[in-house]
Amino acid sequence: MLRYTLKRILTGILALFVLACVTFLLVRLMPGSPFQTGSVSEQVVEAVEREYGLDRPLGEQFLTYMGNLLRGDLGISYEDPGVKVTEIIGRTWGITASLGVPALIVAILAGTAFGIARAVSKNRCVREVISAVGMILAGIPGFAAAILLLLVFSVQLKWFPASGLLSPAHYVLPVISLAIYPAAVIMRLTGNALETEMEKDYVLFDRAKGLGRKQIIFTHALKNAWRPVLNYIGPASAYLLTGSFVVESIFTIPGIGREFVNSITNRDYTLIMGLTIFMGAVVIAVNLITDLLGAWLDPAVRRSYQEEAG
Amino acid sequence: MKRKVTDWIIDGSGENEMNRHSGKRGTGHPAGRRAAALLLAGIFLCAAALTGCSGSGSGENAGTDAGEKAITVAINSETGTMDPAGSIALTYLAYSVSALDELLTFDENGEIEYRAAESYEVNEDSTEWTFHLREDALWSDGTPVTSGDFLNTITRALDPASGSGYANYLFPIENAEAIYNGEAEMDTLGVEAPNDYTLVFHLEEPCVYFLDLLRLPVYTPSCEKYADSPDSGWDTDPETSLANGPFCLTEYVPDQYFVLEKNENYWDKDRISLDRITYRFFDDTQSMANAYQAGEVDVATSLPSTVMELYEGQDDLLVTDLIATRYIYFNLNVEPLDDVRVREAINLAIDREELCQIVGSDTEPTYNLIAKYMKDKETGEYFVDGAEQPFEENVVRAQEILTEAGYPDGEGFPTLTYSYPTLEMDSDTAQVIQSQLKENLNIDIELNAQELQSSYSSRYAGDFELIRMNWTADFADPYTYLSMLLSNSTYNCSGINDPEYDVLVEQSSSESDPAKRAELMHQAEQLAVGEQFYIIPLYAMKSVNLVNPEITGIRQIPASGALEYRYADIG
Repeated sequence: MLRYTLKRILTGILALFVLACVTFLLVRLMPGSPFQTGSVSEQVVEAVEREYGLDRPLGEQFLTYMGNLLRGDLGISYEDPGVKVTEIIGRTWGITASLGVPALIVAILAGTAFGIARAVSKNRCVREVISAVGMILAGIPGFAAAILLLLVFSVQLKWFPASGLLSPAHYVLPVISLAIYPAAVIMRLTGNALETEMEKDYVLFDRAKGLGRKQIIFTHALKNAWRPVLNYIGPASAYLLTGSFVVESIFTIPGIGREFVNSITNRDYTLIMGLTIFMGAVVIAVNLITDLLGAWLDPAVRRSYQEEAG
Repeated sequence: MKRKVTDWIIDGSGENEMNRHSGKRGTGHPAGRRAAALLLAGIFLCAAALTGCSGSGSGENAGTDAGEKAITVAINSETGTMDPAGSIALTYLAYSVSALDELLTFDENGEIEYRAAESYEVNEDSTEWTFHLREDALWSDGTPVTSGDFLNTITRALDPASGSGYANYLFPIENAEAIYNGEAEMDTLGVEAPNDYTLVFHLEEPCVYFLDLLRLPVYTPSCEKYADSPDSGWDTDPETSLANGPFCLTEYVPDQYFVLEKNENYWDKDRISLDRITYRFFDDTQSMANAYQAGEVDVATSLPSTVMELYEGQDDLLVTDLIATRYIYFNLNVEPLDDVRVREAINLAIDREELCQIVGSDTEPTYNLIAKYMKDKETGEYFVDGAEQPFEENVVRAQEILTEAGYPDGEGFPTLTYSYPTLEMDSDTAQVIQSQLKENLNIDIELNAQELQSSYSSRYAGDFELIRMNWTADFADPYTYLSMLLSNSTYNCSGINDPEYDVLVEQSSSESDPAKRAELMHQAEQLAVGEQFYIIPLYAMKSVNLVNPEITGIRQIPASGALEYRYADIG
């Protein structure tokens, strides 16, 4: 188990390094400069670029950046002189997490609940409606859901605020917008797995033993049916991070996604790099944790590791 | 893609707006309605249970709660510093109009309004300008505002490391350009501060519009005691970010908002009614419009033109003139654009009335380079109205000229590429021009939509055939426009090199008789736009704003057309 973990961590670091290299090149391939705006004279742009070392050969800039990166120095933002990239990450990631974590919880709760209902409901009509709605929700792009919720519940009904994160009420619409898609996926995963489980021999055996339906579902079948959901949490976290780009822009939330979109528009090279590396690290870490958790929960896998170790 | 998304919102809200009082809102297909409602209700319940809240949000509205007068203004996303010597953008522009006093400014009638200065003198040839500062002017911490504070901004901005994009506006001052380029020492700079309340500028050459430059950030004071560098963070810390204007910074939350409160040490504080202005950052104009509609902000500026139709006839809508011109640069180094006949034919073949009808009601055709709504301070009239329109559209004549140039009915004319930023307005414009030129001259234009930054980049590099340009006046003098086409201008990226034009413009900046000067500038514009056709003027723009009708006294800054809240009041 330890060897496996170490291997995974090393691969993760390698992946991050490749990500950093590719991003560095792609960012510099974009036309434009952090200091070019519509109304700055070329003379001034050149002088400022010289000052920041952007006139030096790309290879040299790359080595400098990587050297600093190894020391954990992500540099300063070009757009906000004096503000460290790490400072911006520190300020924004908590905000994104404060949306992403509740969204994930909502998605898991709602997805599992509807998944169970779909799998075990005796009413065919209920099953079909849940399936159909789940399919529709999985097909609605995140931005469309966000805009629809904003228009209906904020602009028209005025139940919830339209922008910012000043009070608990501000969280409702962005969290729902983010949760819709993963909830639909989790519903499908739980529903399908549970249906399969319900036909397995041990369920028949449980029934024969005279266990109640509820007991069978919650104590036995669900535990097994839930494994695909656990595997999905990694990709879901990645979805929530990328989804935050759109949702944070629509609801004007000062999180990491909005910062990322703005940094690209502004050609804020150091900030784009810093945010990409940070988000890459988060996605890799979440995947690693859920994989390890899955492996640990699966008796067969766990046993194989134990044998290996012993 | 983001643009497309926001278009969708506005159409949607427009539809809903019409249904607002009809009791039921039509949401589309009746069959799906029940299922959708059920679903939304379910999700909504889950979320409400989770966050433990319901009901409406706590929007900060214009109000006089507890006897306090406060407004909330939506501004475009946070960019740049609030240090006048630093790399400034929208944040500074919003902050400075409420918090900083320049030496002097011009009111809407073109009269001087003294702010930090109380008088000035100028020598005969307009090369030496002396300003006497107000001795009762204080910073928000109660210390006096001195000439050293003005000098502080200027010397810091002349270091390229400051990132100031306005440093070039200091170049009329003796040795400023040489200092910026590292070719001279700071002590040779032509600015003197003989005592705390006197500031003297020695200019390289006569500059009759010098007073108009004073509103630019690099001529605005920054407190010597704290303002050391754009990187130190003094500008966003309420302890050190001092103001010499009517409001001062009391809170700054990155990415979210900043708060200005009335400056009790302001010399003219009796004229100020508001206690607090909160500026909130928004990423796009559609979010701003939504926040206004949801009652979360009192003022939202520069909104999409569709808002005009949505709020037509309502008191909230405030449409103002922008001092800006949208136009197209020809690249004169590309054949056949080096031929003045070709440039003339293209200019004459475009129907600007039709163009503006399609692009949006916030545009008005223009045939000038100088902004249509820029006023002549002497006459109080729009400057461009002081002369004949540079040229008249005429499709038949355009076809004749194109034939003379060797392309009868567009035959043999190469396909030209038009580069423009992917903004909705510019995309619409590009398509209209493409079809008009095809129809009227039978020439083909290939469209090349670029991201805004890429478009700037192509323009600076001269890497284009036709490219979209927009210029918003930096200061209230036609020179801000005419200087762009000078042979040595750093904005001149289209290869214009016209000694006759250069001479006219240079003469105008040293001509102290206003009437003669205006005449020289009209001649220069006629030469560039009406004879040499160096550019394709397209339209002037209006700014669509929403303002809570309870707020009074919002003014428009004559130089830029932006809104100013200094003298605003509630009720």
